[in-house]
Amino acid sequence: MSILQAPPAARTPGAGTRVRRRRRRWEPVLYIAPAFVVMALIIGYPVISAIGTSFLHSSLAAPGKDSFAGFSNYVDLIGSEEFLGVLGRTAVWAIASLVTQVGLALFVANILNKKLFARGFVRTSIIVPWVVPSVIVALIWRFLLDPAQGPINALLRNSGLLEAPPAWLASTATALPTLIVIGAWKWTPFAAVILLAGMQQIPHEQYEAATVDGASAFRRWFHITLPGIRTSLALVCLTTISGSINNFNGIWLFTRGGPVGSTDILTTLAYRTAFQDLDLGMAATASVVIFVLMLIIAVVYFFVVEGRSKGRRS
Amino acid sequence: MTTDRTHSSVWSHLGAAVLVLVALVPFGWMFVSSFKSPAELNGVDQRLLPSHLYFGNYTALLDTNFFRYFLNSAMVAVGTTLIALFLAILAGYGLARFTFVGNRGMLLIVVAAQMFPAVMLVIPLYTTVKSLNLLNSLVGLTVVYVSFALPFCIWLLRNYFLAVPVEIEEAAMIDGCSRFRALWKVVLPPAMPGVMAAAVFVVIQVWEEFLYANTFIDTDKKWTLSVGLNSLIGEYTTDWGRLLAAGVVVMIPVLIVFAYLQRYVTAIAGGGVKG
Repeated sequence: MSILQAPPAARTPGAGTRVRRRRRRWEPVLYIAPAFVVMALIIGYPVISAIGTSFLHSSLAAPGKDSFAGFSNYVDLIGSEEFLGVLGRTAVWAIASLVTQVGLALFVANILNKKLFARGFVRTSIIVPWVVPSVIVALIWRFLLDPAQGPINALLRNSGLLEAPPAWLASTATALPTLIVIGAWKWTPFAAVILLAGMQQIPHEQYEAATVDGASAFRRWFHITLPGIRTSLALVCLTTISGSINNFNGIWLFTRGGPVGSTDILTTLAYRTAFQDLDLGMAATASVVIFVLMLIIAVVYFFVVEGRSKGRRS
Repeated sequence: MTTDRTHSSVWSHLGAAVLVLVALVPFGWMFVSSFKSPAELNGVDQRLLPSHLYFGNYTALLDTNFFRYFLNSAMVAVGTTLIALFLAILAGYGLARFTFVGNRGMLLIVVAAQMFPAVMLVIPLYTTVKSLNLLNSLVGLTVVYVSFALPFCIWLLRNYFLAVPVEIEEAAMIDGCSRFRALWKVVLPPAMPGVMAAAVFVVIQVWEEFLYANTFIDTDKKWTLSVGLNSLIGEYTTDWGRLLAAGVVVMIPVLIVFAYLQRYVTAIAGGGVKG
């Protein structure tokens, strides 16, 4: 099930082609180049272009009239009233997503790894929220949480739990926490499946030996499972935190950053600046800030995870 | 799994049952409510089941361009899948046979490619697509989706090709087959599960994508499902029945694909990149 570990490499690649190698030196290029040219044009070029645009005054309303701006976009953005709030909210959103999704995923993967009745059905059902498009997730939850017609508030009122339940997505106090919960509902399955793949690679003998030695279930989990899934766990943390910072659909489709900016993070700010305020220079600047955050996370990951596992790598 | 494991406790089963309920009840509620009449949906006194099966929400969909969006998404999904798989098969094969990039190194490249902020790329891509006169074109959208799907597909396929013994294609090539032909005739068949997993990944991505579709396309007739449905949500916030019916219709192909290809979906998640 897992493709995390490499399938055994059959042979030294290209071992049998030595005779032809002289004649066919250009051959690898023909196979590899098309895909990499496409990626360079559609992923590589825009990254450089966006960094360039962040140093320009550039507006969608006046195409072709770009002028050099130096660092003024950066100065304006960082000095703006909303920026610090947005940056802080992005951090809250990313950290809360990381903690809820990875925390719940550890619990979920642990259950999925047990010998359960109808385990196939359980595993399949749990992944459904992840494969469903975000727009459907938004549709379902906006309906369930609708203040007037939604069943959740009706349930809260009728059961007497809450006299006047809030309009979850429309109130500044509850919008962000609600989105964090919905995000956990959608993304935890993904994290859980990766952790499960890691758990399945732990040799079963280790648990048996520990049980014979009288280790409690908790100690077995802490001393065998946790170290065993270390690589998967690190990868899940990396993809979850970068995925949340880059997340756009998980906010825009629900609240567009509102009400009153209470769910506005860097991605929604950059998008709004570009396509509603038409200020491409400033939007590019905001997106460069996201890019820098990603770089920091990548560097931290590299030093903490890769640095540590050096020499232990298979 | 090994057979000698002790049976799990009642608590594990209870936990599993709760998880399944939490995952599925929202969909179930959408399904059931899509058969309620507007009066029932508006009623203060909410009941779980509709008093009778009301199909008005589904027929109301015909007044919208919903099925047009559906068709657009399907076309983009097919186009993206075919092109991305073709390029990824070539590149995955090339990387498996000709280079010595380690597995871990490739994984890091794939994860890094996934980390580029989509919202950063959309700004320059918008101006590029506009200057190429590909705004409002599903072709422009397909090209962008292909490149976003490529890193993961290449990595996945490379791993499957590594597991195919080199001897198979050598035999074919000694028999006079070109390497290119050998790839399609003898290397690809044993790697088909990888191709299927990559295809499922691409389709899920295209069905999910909203940001680029919303930016590049502004004529109603060319919208994809995500964009079209999002605009319907804005337009009919008080007509939940119609929206829920649309949601159910969108879910059907997702669930069919998913039910058939469930094991490939887990292979994708096991691959370790957020879709």
